[in-house]
Amino acid sequence: MEVLHEVSVKLDAGEIVTIIGPNGAGKSTLMKTIFGLLKPTGGKILFDEKNITGLPPDRIVRLGMAYVPQVDNVFPSLTAQENLEMGAFILTRDFSDRMDDIYGLFPLLKERRRQRVGKMSGGERQMVAMGRALMLNPKLILLDEPSAALAPNLAAMIFDRIAAINQTGVAILIVEQNAKESLKLSDRGYVLASGRNRFEDTGKNLLTNKEIGELYLGG
Amino acid sequence: MMEQFIGVINYIVFFAITAGTYGILSLGLNVQWGFAGLFNIGIAGFYALGAYTAALISGPPPSAWDGRMVGGFELPFIVGLLAAAAVCGIVAFLIGIPTLRLRAEYLAIATIGIAEIIRLVLKNESWLTNGVWGLQQIPSPLYNPIRSGVTGFLQVHSDWPAWVHSLLSRSYNWFYLLLVIGILFALYLIMQRLVRSPWGRVIKAIREDEDVAAMSGKNTFSFKIQALVLGAMIMGIGGSLYAHYARFISPSSFKPLYGTFLVWVMLVLGGSGNNKGAILGSFVVWGIWAGTDFLTGYLPFTASQAASLRIIFIGILLEVILLWRPQGLLQRERRFPKYLRPRADDK
Amino acid sequence: MGAFSRIPQLIVYGIISGSIISLGGIGVSLTYSILGFSNFAHGDIMALGAYICLGVFALFTGLGLGNTPIGPLSFGFSFALSFVLALALTALAVIVIDRILFKRLRKAGSIILMMASIGLALGLRNILQFFWGPQPHYYIEKIQVASIIPGLGIRIKPDQVFIIILAVALVVLVHCFLQYTKMGKAMRASADNIALARVTGINTDRVILWTWVIGGALAATAGILAGIENKFITPELGWQMLLSVFAAVILGGLGNPYGAILGGMIIGLSEEVSTAFISTGYKPAVAFAIMIIMLLVKPTGLLGRRK
Repeated sequence: MEVLHEVSVKLDAGEIVTIIGPNGAGKSTLMKTIFGLLKPTGGKILFDEKNITGLPPDRIVRLGMAYVPQVDNVFPSLTAQENLEMGAFILTRDFSDRMDDIYGLFPLLKERRRQRVGKMSGGERQMVAMGRALMLNPKLILLDEPSAALAPNLAAMIFDRIAAINQTGVAILIVEQNAKESLKLSDRGYVLASGRNRFEDTGKNLLTNKEIGELYLGG
Repeated sequence: MMEQFIGVINYIVFFAITAGTYGILSLGLNVQWGFAGLFNIGIAGFYALGAYTAALISGPPPSAWDGRMVGGFELPFIVGLLAAAAVCGIVAFLIGIPTLRLRAEYLAIATIGIAEIIRLVLKNESWLTNGVWGLQQIPSPLYNPIRSGVTGFLQVHSDWPAWVHSLLSRSYNWFYLLLVIGILFALYLIMQRLVRSPWGRVIKAIREDEDVAAMSGKNTFSFKIQALVLGAMIMGIGGSLYAHYARFISPSSFKPLYGTFLVWVMLVLGGSGNNKGAILGSFVVWGIWAGTDFLTGYLPFTASQAASLRIIFIGILLEVILLWRPQGLLQRERRFPKYLRPRADDK
Repeated sequence: MGAFSRIPQLIVYGIISGSIISLGGIGVSLTYSILGFSNFAHGDIMALGAYICLGVFALFTGLGLGNTPIGPLSFGFSFALSFVLALALTALAVIVIDRILFKRLRKAGSIILMMASIGLALGLRNILQFFWGPQPHYYIEKIQVASIIPGLGIRIKPDQVFIIILAVALVVLVHCFLQYTKMGKAMRASADNIALARVTGINTDRVILWTWVIGGALAATAGILAGIENKFITPELGWQMLLSVFAAVILGGLGNPYGAILGGMIIGLSEEVSTAFISTGYKPAVAFAIMIIMLLVKPTGLLGRRK
C-alpha cells in the first residue's frame, strides 16, 4: 500500500527543516524511507550528492546521517553513558572528547550518566536518544516527533537543545505534531497531507499563515 | 505369487489404518495450529493419554500377572473413545489456563512438560497403567462377531482356493480400516463445517492478529482454549483407535518422535490451516517414513543406525519445507472464500 | 524423619545440578532476547558438546596423550584439552547451523524458528545416535573417593567441587563480558531492541555471532559437566535436560541471563531436594510444577523479562 505519492523534500547543510501535517500524512514514513528503513518504489534520495536510495541504515549511518525514532529510541537496560557509547560503536578510536561535547550539550545527562535509562523520565530519555545520535558527529539528524509525550516545559527544553545542536553546524530534519514550537526555530517547513506535498515556505511564514494555522497548527 | 499379493494387500491395509490414524492426529493439530496458531509440541502425550484411557475403559480388568489395581471396565468401544476424548480435553484445558495468555513458547514448553509427565506416570504408576509392561488384550470393536462370521462363511465355502481363505482371514482389518476412514472422514466434515462457521472465522482472525480480534470485543483467551481442547480431543480419538488396533500398548509405543514430530511434519508438508492438507500430509509423510524403512534395510547399517538415519532424513525434510515452502502443499483456508471476500470498494 | 536427614546432601547435589542447568539456561536466554526465539535444540547442543568432548578425548587417548589425573580430580591434561576443544568445536558447529538454517528463517517469525529448532533437536540427537549408538558411554571411568565434610554430614567429590568452581567462574566471566566490554554492551543493547541497535550502527551480525558462540560454548560446558557428574552420557541427555533448563529460564525471566542463573539454582535445588520425598523419576515433574506456578503467579519471571 502506497503511503507517499511523489513527495519531494530538500535540505541544505546546517538548516533546520520541519515537516508538519495531520496524522497519517506519511511524515514518519518519509523519515524512515530517507534513513533506509523503508524502500521507496520510485524516486531518488541524494545525500551530500551521493545517491543513497536503497542503502541499508548501517551504511547510511557511516555516511553521516543519524536517526532518532519516535518511540523505543533508547536502550532501557543500559546506562546513559552506555547508550552514548553504543552510538559510537563503529568508532575504533577514542571518543571521550566527543562524549564530553555531548555532555556539554546535555549537562543533565552528565550527572545521570551512570543511571539506567529505563528509569529516567521522558525528557531525559529524549536527551539520551539525541545524544546517542550525535556521537558520530553526523551532518544530518532526523528527529521523529522529538517532543511527543512530553509536558510543555520539557518540550520547550528539548527544542532549546535542538537549536543548540543546530548551532554546532548539524542539519536537522524534524517531523512534528507540535508544529508551532518546531517552526519557530526552523529555517523552512513543509506541509504534508495524505502522502503529498501541500505547502512549502520559510518557518516564519508558515507560522504566520492563517490557513495553515487553522488546518494544521490548531488555530 | 498369491502369497506375495496377499502380503501386499495386508500391508496396504496396515499402512492405510496407520496413516488414517495419523490423519486424525493431524486434523487435531490443524485445529490448534492451523486455525488458532497454537504451538503444541506435546502431541505424543495426548496420543498416549487417549490410547491408555480407551484401553483402561474398554480393556479387561487386571489379571493375575498385572501390576494394576484399577481399571479395565470392559465398556464398549464408543465409551472408551469418548472417554479418551474427554480426558485429553480436560488435560488440554488445564495446560491452556496458565499459558494461553502468554507468548507461544510458553504453551510449547508446557506441552513438552505435560507430555513428559504423562510418560512418567504411564511408566511409573503401575497400579494404574501396569508400568513398562503395558496393557494387553485390548479388545477390538466387533472383533468376535466379524471373526465368527468370516470363519463361518469360510467353513461353508471350504471348497474355495486356499489363497482366498488366506486373504479373508485378515478381513477384520478391512473392517477396522473402514472404521478408521469413516471416523477420519466424519471428523473432516465436522472440521470443514467448523472452519467456515462464525466460530471458525473468529479463530482465524485471532491467529492473524490477536490484538485486532480482541479489540472487536472477542474473548480471545476463551476461543484459544476451545481450539486447544477441541484439537486435543481429536487427538484422543486417534489414540483410542490406535489402542484398539494395536491391542497392546506400553509407554514405549509413544515416543515423542512418533506422536509429535511426525504429525508436525505431516501438517506442515500438507498445508497448515487446510484440513485436506492435514490428511494428505499424513499419507505422504507416512509413505515417506515407511519407504525409508525399506530403503535403509538395503544399506549396511545397524538397526539403530538405520532408525537414526530415517529420523535425520525426516528432520531435513522438515527444514527444507520450512526454508522453501513453509505454507505446505495445499493452501491455508481463507477467512472468507473467494466469492465472499470483501472488496476494496465495498464499505 | 529419615527423609529430612538426607536434605543437606541433596542440597549439595542441587547446587551441582543447578550450576549445570544455569549454564545451559544462559544460552537460552541470550538466544531468546537477541534472536527473538526459544531454541528447543539447546539441550541437544549440550549433548553435542558432551559427545564432541568424548570423541576428541578418544582421539587423544589413541594418540597416546597422557591423562594423568590433575591433583584430586579424576581427569588429566588430555581430557582438559578435549574439554576446551569441544567448546570451540561446538561453538563452530552452532555458527554453521545458524548460517544454514536460522539465518534464513529470521524473517519468518519466532514460531517458525522454534519449529525449525525442534527439527534440529531431533536431527542432532540422531546424528549422535548414528555415530555413538543409543547405549550409554562412560565419561570418566575412575571411581572417585568423596571427601566427607564433618559436622554437616555431607560428602563431596573433588570433581563436584570443580564443577561448582568452573560454573561460578564462567558466570563471573559472562557477567564481566556483558557489563564491561563493548561487544557485551552491544549484546545487551541488542537484547533491548535489535532494530534500534541496527539504526545506531551496531554491527548486529557480529552481535548474533557472539550470541551463538557464547550460547554454544556454555551449552557444551553444561553437557560435559553433566557427563562428569552423571558418569555416563546417552544421546537422550539433551532432551532430558531441556525441560529443566527451560523451566529455569522461565522461572528467572525469559530473556534475562541473570534470571537463568537464579532460576537454574532454584530448579536444581528443588529437583534434588524433592527426591527426599518423591521418587527420583519425577524430578522433571518438579521442574514443571514450579514453572506452571510461576506462569500463574508472575509470568514475567522472578527477575523480569527482557522484552
